[in-house]
Amino acid sequence: MSTLLLASVATLVFCAPGYPGGAGDAQPFVEQFASAAAANAGWPAGSLAAVYDPTEQGGLAKLAGSDAVLAFVPYAFFFQHAAELHLTPLAQADVVGIGTQERWTLVAKAGAVKGPASLTGYTLLSVAGYAPDFVRRAALDAWPLPRDVKIEPTGQLLSALRRIAAGEHSVALLDQTQAAALPTLPFAAQLEAVRQSPPLPVAIVAVIAARLPAARARALQSGLLKMGHAAGDADTLGQLHLKGFVLPQIPAHTSAP
Amino acid sequence: MRWTGWALAALMVTGCRAPLRPAEPHPIPMTGTVQELAAAIDADAKRSDHEPDSKIRGELAAQASRDAAACLDRAPQSAACLYGRAIALGLEARAHPTRAGELLNTMLDSLGNAEAADPGYDEAGPARVRALVLIRAPGWPLGPGDTEAGLAAARRAATLRPQYPPNLLALAEALSKTGNSSGARENYERARALAQALPASEDRDGWIHEAGEALRRQ
Repeated sequence: MSTLLLASVATLVFCAPGYPGGAGDAQPFVEQFASAAAANAGWPAGSLAAVYDPTEQGGLAKLAGSDAVLAFVPYAFFFQHAAELHLTPLAQADVVGIGTQERWTLVAKAGAVKGPASLTGYTLLSVAGYAPDFVRRAALDAWPLPRDVKIEPTGQLLSALRRIAAGEHSVALLDQTQAAALPTLPFAAQLEAVRQSPPLPVAIVAVIAARLPAARARALQSGLLKMGHAAGDADTLGQLHLKGFVLPQIPAHTSAP
Repeated sequence: MRWTGWALAALMVTGCRAPLRPAEPHPIPMTGTVQELAAAIDADAKRSDHEPDSKIRGELAAQASRDAAACLDRAPQSAACLYGRAIALGLEARAHPTRAGELLNTMLDSLGNAEAADPGYDEAGPARVRALVLIRAPGWPLGPGDTEAGLAAARRAATLRPQYPPNLLALAEALSKTGNSSGARENYERARALAQALPASEDRDGWIHEAGEALRRQ
């Protein structure tokens, strides 16, 4: 198996459900990233391909392909699918304007939510709504949601926040960028942050099901960690809003999702 | 993880412009009339739609911006020039994705000014293009996308020029994005029927194709 993989092109699958960007739009950027990562790792030119899929199902299908050896995914995706895909974290992204970790914020109509029990019958909307295990067990681990809370993905957070402010029985779980922008909304005074997650990784590069020989994985990890320090890589990283990578710091409670 | 290719989505609007005045060869000298300059911007946008080379798209965007500036010098309050500037800003956003957020916001301002000057220009183009930007651009907080505002703009365009197929295509897309699939289907079907009743042209074929594809996906 390893010999076969060494002789073939490995594929890095990027998947960021809920975030803007079509596959065609992002493809040149991820290809450039793969070339730079391979060069930093000392891999032969052309030995690492990359593909982007903006949907959870599309990403899962690509990750199931026999040529897929690496995943670059938001932490919510990693948490939701690490066990079934046998993902082993290799590096953690350092994202422009965010860093290596972020806190998620639960937002409700001002005064409407006193504790988790208040959310009985509510719907929780989030870009991470495709990953209910992440929502319940990572972002809101210490704030147990009632079992009947419906967790739904949305890419239309502005509409969701308007409905929440208007009194709809919904709450929104915002990532750090979204939460920071909350005060800019004209109806911000009608909303309140009711809970914040502990710091969680933003995005993870992981090996899929040990499909990469250990020596190659170590070389790639070393290459990724170097990327933020090589001037020539700044543009490549910047196109993906990245500054570089650090060693993975997976929170303890997520070690066996 | 905010992939930056999103800027392209907001720029797929040029196919929904009216077939402007008879196609002018390009380049049009910047000494032309308002109508000539508006036609030149439209020609740049159409070329850009089919141009795979990003460098050439960048040159077309720069040319369209120069033409828009020349147009506004001649007629600062003209709907044609304000609309042309908006289209040029869209081309610039496509050519420079890292500045797309700022450019698209300015594009929306320009479309608002064009709509105030003449809402019927280009078959209700200012409201139609505004709708398409709002429903295709990334939403808050990464971009100016706002599906509800997009739907309102699409309704304005469709009310003002209900017989123009691209207005119904934009309305159908906005309804689809806001979860009204039956309304979307109805308007795609109306758009297709209206287009089929028009004389043969490349634009007509494009509108029929767009409606048909959308109906197949539904």
